[in-house]
Amino acid sequence: MMSNLTSTERARAMLITVAGVLIGLTMAAVGRNDPMGAHGWIVLLFCGVLFFLVAQTLYDAEPVEDRSTSYYDDPTKVGILLALFWAVVAMGMGVWVASQLAWPDLRFDAAWSSFGRIRPVHTSGVIFGFGGNALIATSYHIMQRTSRARMPDQVSPWFVLLGFNLFCVVAASGYLMGITQSKEYAEPEWYADLWLVIVWVVYFILYIRTLARRNEPHIYVANWYYLSFILVVAILHIVNNLAVPASFSGAKSYSAFAGVQDAMVQWWYGHNAVAFFLTTGFLGMLYYFLPKRAGRPIYSYRLSILSFWGIVFFYIWVGSHHLHYTALPQWVQTLGVTFSVMLLVPSWASAGNALMTLNGAWHKVRDDATLRFMMVAAVFYGLSTFEGSFMAIRPVNALSHYTDWTVGHVHSGAMGWVAMITFGSIYALTPMLWRRETMYSWKAVEWHFWLALSGTVIYIFAMWNSGITQGLMWRTYTESGTLRFSFVDTLIAMHPYYIARAFGGLLFFAGACICFWNVVMTIRRVPNHAPEADYPTIPEAMEPAVPAAE
Amino acid sequence: MSGIGTHPQTCSGDQLQVSSREWREAEARAGVRLLANGQGHCVLSIPDLRCGGCVAKIERTLNARADVVTARVNLTLKQAVVTFADADTDPTCVISALALLGYPAIPADVAQQDEDDTDDVGRGLLRAIAVAGFGAMNIMLLSVAVWSGAAGETRDTFHLISALIAIPVVAYAGQPFFRSAFQALRMGRLNMDVPIAVAVVLALALSLVETMRGGEQAFFDAAVTLLFFLLSGRYLDHLMRERARSAVSGLARLSPRGAMLRQPDGTLTYMPLSSITPGAIITIGLDERVPVDVRIISGSTDLDRSLVTGEAMPVPAGFGDTLEAGTLNLTGVVEAEVLRSADGSFLAQMMRMQSEAETGRGTYVRIADRAAQLYAPVVHLLSLATFVGWFLATGEWHTAIFIAISVLIITCPCALGLAVPVAHVVASGRLMRMGILMKDGSALERLAEIDRVVFDKTGTLTMGTAAIGCGPGDPALRTAAKALALKTVHPAARAIAMSIAEQPCQLDDAIEVPGFGIAGCVGGRAVRLGRADWVADICLQAKGKASPVCAFADGPAMSFDLIETLRPGAVDAISSFAEAGIPVAMLSGDIAARANSIANQLDIADVRSDETPADKIAALNVLRDAGHRALMVGDGLNDAAALAAAHVSMAPSSASDAGRTAADFIFLRDGLDAVTAAWHMARATARIVRQNFALAITYNCIAIPLAMAGLVTPLIAALAMSGSSLLVIGNALRLNRAAKPRPMPMPRAGGMEVPA
Amino acid sequence: MTILAFLIPVTLSMGAIGLGVFFWSLRSNQYDDLSGDAERILFDDDHPLLAASARLSNTTKETAP
Repeated sequence: MMSNLTSTERARAMLITVAGVLIGLTMAAVGRNDPMGAHGWIVLLFCGVLFFLVAQTLYDAEPVEDRSTSYYDDPTKVGILLALFWAVVAMGMGVWVASQLAWPDLRFDAAWSSFGRIRPVHTSGVIFGFGGNALIATSYHIMQRTSRARMPDQVSPWFVLLGFNLFCVVAASGYLMGITQSKEYAEPEWYADLWLVIVWVVYFILYIRTLARRNEPHIYVANWYYLSFILVVAILHIVNNLAVPASFSGAKSYSAFAGVQDAMVQWWYGHNAVAFFLTTGFLGMLYYFLPKRAGRPIYSYRLSILSFWGIVFFYIWVGSHHLHYTALPQWVQTLGVTFSVMLLVPSWASAGNALMTLNGAWHKVRDDATLRFMMVAAVFYGLSTFEGSFMAIRPVNALSHYTDWTVGHVHSGAMGWVAMITFGSIYALTPMLWRRETMYSWKAVEWHFWLALSGTVIYIFAMWNSGITQGLMWRTYTESGTLRFSFVDTLIAMHPYYIARAFGGLLFFAGACICFWNVVMTIRRVPNHAPEADYPTIPEAMEPAVPAAE
Repeated sequence: MSGIGTHPQTCSGDQLQVSSREWREAEARAGVRLLANGQGHCVLSIPDLRCGGCVAKIERTLNARADVVTARVNLTLKQAVVTFADADTDPTCVISALALLGYPAIPADVAQQDEDDTDDVGRGLLRAIAVAGFGAMNIMLLSVAVWSGAAGETRDTFHLISALIAIPVVAYAGQPFFRSAFQALRMGRLNMDVPIAVAVVLALALSLVETMRGGEQAFFDAAVTLLFFLLSGRYLDHLMRERARSAVSGLARLSPRGAMLRQPDGTLTYMPLSSITPGAIITIGLDERVPVDVRIISGSTDLDRSLVTGEAMPVPAGFGDTLEAGTLNLTGVVEAEVLRSADGSFLAQMMRMQSEAETGRGTYVRIADRAAQLYAPVVHLLSLATFVGWFLATGEWHTAIFIAISVLIITCPCALGLAVPVAHVVASGRLMRMGILMKDGSALERLAEIDRVVFDKTGTLTMGTAAIGCGPGDPALRTAAKALALKTVHPAARAIAMSIAEQPCQLDDAIEVPGFGIAGCVGGRAVRLGRADWVADICLQAKGKASPVCAFADGPAMSFDLIETLRPGAVDAISSFAEAGIPVAMLSGDIAARANSIANQLDIADVRSDETPADKIAALNVLRDAGHRALMVGDGLNDAAALAAAHVSMAPSSASDAGRTAADFIFLRDGLDAVTAAWHMARATARIVRQNFALAITYNCIAIPLAMAGLVTPLIAALAMSGSSLLVIGNALRLNRAAKPRPMPMPRAGGMEVPA
Repeated sequence: MTILAFLIPVTLSMGAIGLGVFFWSLRSNQYDDLSGDAERILFDDDHPLLAASARLSNTTKETAP
């Protein structure tokens, strides 16, 4: 891969890694009496390894590739592998966390392995490690294909991808050491946040530069979704992480906002992160890979553009529904409810659009597990957005909030929608990227599909039951007006569901492992095959190579 | 017969053939527009474009060519925009390359295309919608906050922010309504935009005053949401017309842009029409349309005058004959003297008659405006009455004004404004899928009202092509006739060739004598196919027989029976009008015999033949004066004025340019069932529009008393407005299911044809 | 809720950016052929398009000898 870089690019990459090493060294020195020092060593190691990787090839021959005739896919390939690596790590963590809830002894009495520390490793690992890497990798693919242009340079894509992974590593290792801002989905401390801003700005500029070079005048709608993901996440990240470090030699910082104001900012961020990290970016994936794989254009392109603007506008104020029955003024809560309910319209428009695209290609869905992943993702997207709007209504929220129902809702979105569309896209993308005829094993894809689907279904049903049981038990009063059940009573009632949840998660985790194995075997074992065009189909389903015009 | 020996084109034929090709190239080249950087820009219309695969194939092929800088295909418009490196490039190469791929292409009309490039009105409306949408979303957010309990300073602040957003938004997005209302008022009329503009401005003003006073209720969201909904309706309306217009401009242009002019030194040069003056000599090649009125000075040919006069069968023409602009030259190259310049020609004359005829229709007032004329005064009077009533009852200016304005806001014709355009847009989408283009919404309203139908014959009730009823039985004659017929493009000959199944026999020395027929030798024996008096030169038997005749020298002569083909679905279309009790008439420019035989076949009692364009207009005016509303269906140049004079009109896509411009509807498919399909759609749409009006009126009957009682809050106004609009839109969407088109009847073989 | 004094301007400016981007997309003819653009992604080649200028210079090179 390094051989595709010119010597100037290699030199530039080395300079960047040297800067990284120096930053790591400084952090290690300044923060030697704080966990930040450990982070310094991690940064140093990460950049040092990269430095040597590049340095090894510094005097290699110049690349012979004609850059005007091919896309730059190396970072995409690495990104896909990194996404799968994180999927296995973070989902494994998830299974462990879930098991700890059922069998608390699994903590093994260590500090780093307590629930409070490994749960964020699971959430951040899945959202940022798996989701983020998949988004970056697919966006590299889609922005080049739909623009019909190669990326403008070969260093910044690597900087974005590896820089983002450095952020993920720092975040995950920090949690284990107990470094956290205690803001959900924004736990990493100030220096990690600052680093992410730099990476993100470069990402945005890279995207814009690629679009500016485009040879296809029209910007395909997927790019709008990806761009909104990058731009809005940048703004949200900056606003929510406004904080004053307690000292520059330590990790601890204090939020710029206090009390309920801070809560409002956190959930303004939190739900918009759901919107712009876990929805729009993955909708971009859906709008590209689903039509590609089905061989049919999106049912209504106009609707996909309209629902883009609808989602962008409606999502912004939804967050306050996370703060029902708190010190937040009633009207701010009502505002959140109103917009949550209205949000259903553009969300269902997208889900319906995706399913209508498949209308007429159901035989392909039946035969092709990859397409089935995408179809199920669209269905779960529709279901979980409906559930979300429903749960945002105040009386429903009174029952559901702080219970496992919320956890079930998040996972129906994360497993059913985000992970399914990502796996579908990865299966569609892998043979294309590595110029392979098919995936290594179509049976493994089938296995993965059914494991993922049954895992998800078991998981959400367990959580629905658990959550509603929990909510009802909490609000049951005796005749004398005291609480009928103690907290331990609810725990005992939930125990079987927690076991079921851990089992569902295990199935899902097993599917992810199979996927990783299958992708690696595809790269190593499946013979090369140069496609004339990026026509997606053939692989598992034994379909005609060129989709029949319908 | 003395003329045959002196055919001049037999000697200079080659040169004239070359000129014909040059004309074709020059004509195509005239479609290339010079860009500022010296490159050429050409728009090709590709009717057979269906899917992304076609787009990719065409773009790949064209972009691979050395003379093409960029080629971009637009699937919506079925067009390819090609940029040539050199403005003088001949686009016919590209066109033939496309034809090889299986996509016949024609240069689209440049003059129309110039406007196409920037659809400023549509863009302006979209921008206004975006601004109104932005304002509506943000103000709604603030309003929802206020409605759900934000009080005191928070509420005042939110009102202030709303005001800061609403003022520029209304000022920008409201312009289309303000302008239209202002124009209407200046002309002393009332249209739908007057109550809209009044309500929006008053709502804004009232809310501003309330904001200053620190009042509890402000209508910012109502003002802006109203604009958003109405702009959406207006944009849909615009989109519908734009779509039809671009589809029409994609149809083949039938009138030429220029002609090959004989220069004093004897050479031929292509000149644009504008620089061709009377007295000039031009050549008119095969398959060319006559550009201006001319008189033939040499050569002879057969002419297809069907689009000009309605005559179904080709007519021969020779020295001294006058040709009207628009006539199609079929068989021979002729030289002709220009009689009149382009703007004095028959074509231009027809255009003038057409625009005169159109003024008669100018009195039609669209249904929404008719409603507004009733609605606006009623609402404004009610509002005034409310003000007076509350002022007398309470003695408070402020309360009285507030309630009076809230009456205006709640009655603002949001649903009324959407009732018509949404229904029309849905209907036009349905029609377009059926292959019927609709020029604008008023056409649909007018079509629903018809009580008379008038058809042209040639090209409308019949297809433009001839067919053979029965032919000679002698096998030798049949094979010889087929061999002769294959030598020419004359429509009658094509029909003869089609009707004979046998293999043609060996034919030697074939020669076409334009205006007369084809001669040749079979096994050393002379044979001719053509006009009876010409065939009689070699075979006396042919004398007096009906043309065309085929005969061997001194052998038996056999006459072919030429007939016109009915359009598929013609019988059903006529009978379904008859069933609905709508009398059908036929106005034809053709001779009585042909007109009557077609009419008999179709059971049309009211037939008029040999009609001039003026006669046709007069006939339609008589109908109008008698209080009838007639649908005219026609295609020819001679029908153009009549199409414009009728209450509403339709033309097939094969119609003349003028006919297509004049008609309200154009149907792209062959079957005449399009006429009834459009009529059914129009009636279904009218029904939906009436229902929508009923819904809007019901809504007002509930809302007005509430508003007059002072019970309307901004929240109720917002809910009522969105609710009624969604109801109307939902009702209009039902049109997608109403009036399902019946499966198109297959053309019946044989029985559909009548002798000419 | 003083925080809204902060969040509302942030949101409004994000909306304004969106509006600006929409205006730009309108001006650069992004919505002229929606049905064609939806299909284009299905038929792209596996290599970038050469820019028009580059292609022209290529063809002149080819035709030169």
